[in-house]
Amino acid sequence: MSTAAYAPSRAEARVRLLVPWLLLAVLAVLPAAGLTPNLIRLLFITFVWVTTSLGWNLLGGFAGQVSFGFAVFYGLGAYTAALMIDRGVNPYISFVAAGIVPAIASVLIGLPTFRLRGPYFAIATIGVSEATRVIMNNLSITGGASGFRIMEKGPFRQVDHYYTALGIAAIAVTVSLLIVNSKFGMALRAIKQDEDAAADLGVNPFAYKLAIHAVAAGLTGIAGGVFARYAAFINPPGVFAFQTSIYILLMPVIGGIGTVWGAVLGGLVFGIVEEQLVANFPQIHLLLYGGLLILIILLEPDGLAGLLGKIYRRVRRSRRADGNTHSGSREADEVLRRAGGG
Amino acid sequence: MTFIDFLNLLIAALLLAGIYAVMSVGMTVIYGVMKIVNLAHAGFMMMGAYFAMELNERLHLDPILAALLAFPFFFLVGIAVHWLLVRWLPHSDRPTLQSLLLMFGLWLVLQNIGYLVWGNTDRSIFTPRTLSIIDLGPISISTLRLVVFVAAVGCMAILEIALSRTWFGRSVRALIQNRYAGRIVGVDDEKTARLTFGMGIAFAGVAGALLATLYSFDPDFGRPFLLRSFVIIVLGGLESVSGVALGALVLALVETFSIFFVPAAYQPAISFAMLVVALVVLPGGIASLWAKRRRLA
Repeated sequence: MSTAAYAPSRAEARVRLLVPWLLLAVLAVLPAAGLTPNLIRLLFITFVWVTTSLGWNLLGGFAGQVSFGFAVFYGLGAYTAALMIDRGVNPYISFVAAGIVPAIASVLIGLPTFRLRGPYFAIATIGVSEATRVIMNNLSITGGASGFRIMEKGPFRQVDHYYTALGIAAIAVTVSLLIVNSKFGMALRAIKQDEDAAADLGVNPFAYKLAIHAVAAGLTGIAGGVFARYAAFINPPGVFAFQTSIYILLMPVIGGIGTVWGAVLGGLVFGIVEEQLVANFPQIHLLLYGGLLILIILLEPDGLAGLLGKIYRRVRRSRRADGNTHSGSREADEVLRRAGGG
Repeated sequence: MTFIDFLNLLIAALLLAGIYAVMSVGMTVIYGVMKIVNLAHAGFMMMGAYFAMELNERLHLDPILAALLAFPFFFLVGIAVHWLLVRWLPHSDRPTLQSLLLMFGLWLVLQNIGYLVWGNTDRSIFTPRTLSIIDLGPISISTLRLVVFVAAVGCMAILEIALSRTWFGRSVRALIQNRYAGRIVGVDDEKTARLTFGMGIAFAGVAGALLATLYSFDPDFGRPFLLRSFVIIVLGGLESVSGVALGALVLALVETFSIFFVPAAYQPAISFAMLVVALVVLPGGIASLWAKRRRLA
């Protein structure tokens, strides 16, 4: 990863530690600053997307298992929360359940499909998600194809929803950061690079993939549940749509696959751009993302985060060259960049 | 189920298998030579359907003729796509996620160009042939399906001849077997890959045009057929053209006869479930069953 390619100075490291907290603090006080309901809704949706993006990134980015089936978890989470809230269960308890049900489903899906590797796994997940939608379209307890309307007792308070979404996004970031720096995260990275080699080193790829799949599915399911409570109406062609899977995959890939902040960036960009574009030009929206995906795959595999990092380093380097210090550092930087980006 | 029912279903399944084979064979050759899982196949099938529709509506061409014209047109499109995008991918003798995502991006682009140009209403191609039926006593065959079947079998036959008789075909088979050995004996792998990609896309276009005469379509047309194509090429062992015919037959039979056992609403789930089962249980395709037995003997 290119972000690991150079050692940050101590001041820089301090800034890096501060930025997320600052961001969280700003987002926490924002509603008090008098945002319009429409802006709060935009941010709410964006946080939901950021959570799913981080969830997908755990499996797709860290462990290298590209899945086209995350709508299954999103939808299961949405339906779990919907059914429980509708029966009068506390919404926050429902959200926990909305994480547990998809996690169990992810194990059931993973048991057969993780025997497949790379693109074969990806293709199998398309099959799983399509089959799930067909089944959910025909189940009677969920209202089938006509959808499910959620009756929640009590007044509707948009700010509650905002803080819930902000909370789950923060949880997703924390979980991702904890995993990426842990032994578990390193094992996942080993699996991503070479499954057989990882197995030789004593990592059980199958078990690790199942575990991270469950965590990713849980986060995605909670996001689905939070969305369902806000939307108050869900139906299988909506939450279980192949489109939903596509969105969840596009965000981290475009933002920067395999890095926590890349996934966050992808979710932020996607959520904000989506809300503005989808209402007016739904086709241009996906056309744009398809084109962006092609460009990123061919030109900048590290995504927007990688691109920003590159620009940042170039600016820093040119500033340093102006001061005419460290004559060898440019080459060293270049070597490091190549080594890291390869 | 009476014997007549059985026979009618069997014929329907056979006719379906023909179009299924054409639809999947393009994916197989691209996978075999380049190890690229072509998700954009669905997008080109959709484009093929609209290609036939436009020719039919504007120039009043017979849709079957339009399907045949789709071959050279989409061949050139495929070569252009290869030149523009695919050749920049790093070579690999295993399928990479990079190529999967690239083709996926291309599919998104094609699909949404479709939405922009033709909107999201269902379209269909209607000709006098659409509803006519050949009656053979108790057995009845849809004329259109028969015509489509003949066109499909014709395409497969031409492909088979091209692969077995021409220098290009021999190069393709060499690269499918072993890319490096092929290069050592003087196969131009770049050129062969370009032509193969063109051919794969051409078959997608033809299949889309043929399917458009049977079903209504919208810009999301290719997706269910994409999954069926996956089932077929996995059943067929991924890299073999004759395996595709076998896989197509198996899927068509299962789909056609499952109406006796599975409620119609759950019907689409069959091919999706089969996809997962086939990938997990039979990664080497149906032919691997015989191969295994032979090894044991």
